[in-house]
Amino acid sequence: MPSNTQAKRLISRRLVMQENVAAYLFLLPFLLFFVGFVLYPMFMCVYTSFFDATMGREDIFVGFRNYKELFSDPVFWVALKNTAIIVVVSVPITCAFSLWVASAISRMPVAATSAFRCIFYLPVVTGSVAVTMVWKWMFNNYYGIFNYLGQSAGLIDKPINWLGDPKYALGCIILILLTTSVGQPIVLYVSALDNVDKSLVEAAEVDGATPLQAFWKVKWPQMMPTTLYILVITTINSFQCFALIQLLTSGGPRNSTMTIMYYIYYNAFKLYRYGYGNAMGVILAIIIAILSAVQFRLGQEK
Amino acid sequence: MKKNLALILALCMIFTLVACGGSKTTAPAATQAPTAAPAEAPAAAPAEPAAEKVTISLWTYPIGKWTDEATVKGFIADFNAIYPDIIVNVEYLDYTNGDDKVNTAIEGGNAPDVVMEGPERLIANWGAKGLMLDLADMVPAGTYAGVLGSCTSANGAVYELPVCMTAHCMAINKDVFEEAGALQYIDLENHTWTTEDFFKAVQAVYDAGYPYVGTIYCGGQGGDQGTRALVTNLHGGTYANTEHTQYTYASEVNAKALSELCAQDGITFDPSIVASDEIQNFVNGTFQMAFCWNATQEVNNADALGFDAFPMAFPAEDGVASLQGGIWGYGIFDNKDEARAEAAKTFLRYLTEDDAVYAKVVEATNFQPVREVAGVYEGNELMAEYALMNPMMGDYYQITKGWTTARTEWWNMLQRVGESDGTVETILNEMQAAQDAANAAAAAE
Amino acid sequence: MNNQYTRKSRIYYAFTFTLIFLIALTFLFPLYWIITGSFKIKKEILSATPVWFPSEWVTTNYANLLAKRSAPLFEIGSFVGPTIPGALRWLLNTVFMSAVAMLLTCFTASMAGYALAKKRFFGRTILFSLIVAAMALPKQVILIPLLREMSSLNLYDTIWAAIIPVVGWPFGVFLIKQFAEGIPTEMVEACRIDGASEWRTFTDVMFPMIKPGVGACAIFTFINSWNDYFMQLIMLTSTKNLTISLGIATMQGENSTDFGLIMAGSALASVPIIIVFLIFQKYFTKGITMGAVKG
Repeated sequence: MPSNTQAKRLISRRLVMQENVAAYLFLLPFLLFFVGFVLYPMFMCVYTSFFDATMGREDIFVGFRNYKELFSDPVFWVALKNTAIIVVVSVPITCAFSLWVASAISRMPVAATSAFRCIFYLPVVTGSVAVTMVWKWMFNNYYGIFNYLGQSAGLIDKPINWLGDPKYALGCIILILLTTSVGQPIVLYVSALDNVDKSLVEAAEVDGATPLQAFWKVKWPQMMPTTLYILVITTINSFQCFALIQLLTSGGPRNSTMTIMYYIYYNAFKLYRYGYGNAMGVILAIIIAILSAVQFRLGQEK
Repeated sequence: MKKNLALILALCMIFTLVACGGSKTTAPAATQAPTAAPAEAPAAAPAEPAAEKVTISLWTYPIGKWTDEATVKGFIADFNAIYPDIIVNVEYLDYTNGDDKVNTAIEGGNAPDVVMEGPERLIANWGAKGLMLDLADMVPAGTYAGVLGSCTSANGAVYELPVCMTAHCMAINKDVFEEAGALQYIDLENHTWTTEDFFKAVQAVYDAGYPYVGTIYCGGQGGDQGTRALVTNLHGGTYANTEHTQYTYASEVNAKALSELCAQDGITFDPSIVASDEIQNFVNGTFQMAFCWNATQEVNNADALGFDAFPMAFPAEDGVASLQGGIWGYGIFDNKDEARAEAAKTFLRYLTEDDAVYAKVVEATNFQPVREVAGVYEGNELMAEYALMNPMMGDYYQITKGWTTARTEWWNMLQRVGESDGTVETILNEMQAAQDAANAAAAAE
Repeated sequence: MNNQYTRKSRIYYAFTFTLIFLIALTFLFPLYWIITGSFKIKKEILSATPVWFPSEWVTTNYANLLAKRSAPLFEIGSFVGPTIPGALRWLLNTVFMSAVAMLLTCFTASMAGYALAKKRFFGRTILFSLIVAAMALPKQVILIPLLREMSSLNLYDTIWAAIIPVVGWPFGVFLIKQFAEGIPTEMVEACRIDGASEWRTFTDVMFPMIKPGVGACAIFTFINSWNDYFMQLIMLTSTKNLTISLGIATMQGENSTDFGLIMAGSALASVPIIIVFLIFQKYFTKGITMGAVKG
């Protein structure tokens, strides 16, 4: 008997080995790219953050000095605050807006649903360089369309310098970010609404539930996985908001649109402070990783 | 069935090999010299013919027509008629992304051989970092006397072979000024005005119903020479000391100038635009003045200008401004390759030594020559008009240390000033803070 | 269903429809503005009062775009193809870059996604955490090390430098893993018991089932790679290696932006990708949703 169990154990060990080998063979092509061109540079980024690294000379080891400087850099804190505002404001709005649009357009005829879905996805496809250029013109202080409409409707009595006023600039950035990020959530919500178990909804309606109740009590729980996924990708997207800032405000006016992403770029590519920029990147990556982990956990508990 | 897996893996490897192979055909230069240019390499392959061919790369910032392929290729074709063994590969940079590109190329060990730009990059940036070759041996004694100082680094090395220069000026919408009766404040013949007359003129244009006469753009560093020149000229202030070691703009006179600009009707501070937007707004008639202007701007916008854009010197108390200069020329990156450095020098000698070629090179820049040369811009009235500005050219302080930081501090300071109460005291504090940061960066270099 | 709507909810329906219609117009506007703008004369492009529709349609912006730079059609070794307008070469480069990135990503991600979803192997949790963490990591952070790496591999300033990082980006794997998890494990096991090899199980059973996910991954990668401006900006320098959006940027003068050229270039850069999206959008929406919902 003992020999039998031993044999079984051997067989199962062989099976485990086989499974491992097969899995890694399947993973191999991806790992080549992932380890070589994402993990290795990531590691180098952490490594460089302990150096005073710049162009044209050997790096100098400075220990935690970059991190110390970072925490006493007022612009870093402003950037962190702005990044947080962007995330906190744009993530719920993106979710709510796309849910609203999705539920409205999913009740329309199929052709209309598909047309609207495409239109809302367009800014993602068109690319931020082109889209931003047009938005910049629309926000223009002197002859932009917003001031034009606002003035002719009597909402504002003199032109507002949308992108030049610290009060409005971040809001404008968030608005544009919204247009470039609701595309995917809308697509997702439309299908999620389609996939909701119809019999449950009907049963609820028979029981006298109002459409609103039916939505919150029946549809919403079923769409939870979609919502979670949308939360994660929108959070990541908002954190990485960079092109808009670079093309529209360069972090101004008075740092009111300075985000961590832009500040990293600014330090690394304008001031050539690679080590300092990398230290900031490490902090940002840690924050994002913690947030995504929390979101995942929360979602799984539900 | 395992065969299939092996097959796909093999395919994957082949793909990767093809990937590397494909890349090799486009970038083998780097295999020959660790710091080779990212240029096509086949030509650089040492096939050992009678005369060995050398490939060099030329990167140009958009200086006049030096961003126009037909023009640049024309020069290279003429050059190759004499020196067939030097192949010049051109890449065109822009001011938005050009620095990123050059810096990443340096970082990746792929710096170009020849780069065309001004002292703020060639000397204060790459030169100061020890990346450039000293070109002192290429400057014949006595030439370029006027500008050579600005092309020379603190250690005495000449990192820029100067080609052309301009005095950055401003421009007014002459039609509107005439309509507003503001031309009386202007010395039309010399293109100058006094500080007092400048403010009177702005007021007159504003009163004639033009809300945006002039705008202090401060959304970034683009074209900041205009705002610097305006502020420092109004009451005779300075920007940096003459030794180019420290910034000196936080002074009573400069603060007074900014304070007066804050108070003046028709002058606004706009942190949402940079010079290119300002020029666009000037050209389409929204603004009545442009603080960032030169001959090239007039040439570039000729077909969109619906009025007479009249170049003006910046206003000064006595009417004599000290204009900010621009000097452009060639620098050579030290790529530790004798043959390429020599080829690059040969190319530059060809472009600058012979009068006939040099005149064409200058005309392609749309700027003024830096040395006496016969027949340049003959019969060109526009250039003659702009040449009036040259005698007013002031100190070339853009090579002061810590320049990158100083530029950033400047536009950020303007943004804060634009939102402040506009008193001399507040402005002086803001200026001092910016200047301290810039000087700290200068000291750290 | 419709007869269930009361008068009130009909009004509400009409109201939301109008509102969404108006919002959709603002989403369409940038594209409209770029395309019409690319046919306007310079004066109308710079005009301070909006010119909603070109008064005369001109093609000078496109002519400029094509004439300003030139590049060889292809180069194989020392054999250089005929010279064509730079903008066309950039368009070809962009298509090639996006297509190769897409193919490679689909190939690597479908295998890896399958393994992550259906295989139990040593280090699985760690690998998946790394993938999620890397997805969240901003690309700018790794640019400098990536750049140094690319130049030491002699890949700097080749189209591959813009392709490889996209393939390494783990989003595709994440997407397909989520998707594959929705496929019942019993199906895979049944196939294995029937004696099919690992590879056969993947190609004959798994792949057909995760096809929609792969389709989504394909379009996603294609669009991302096409619009990955920053990576291209850092990695590519030679005129012949540029992508379309990058090439247009190099045509700008100091402090003077030729908006006509930018509009023409932007139209040229976005219209093909929009067409691709429109053709495949059904596939795309299907794939991407199924993956997410199952997650």
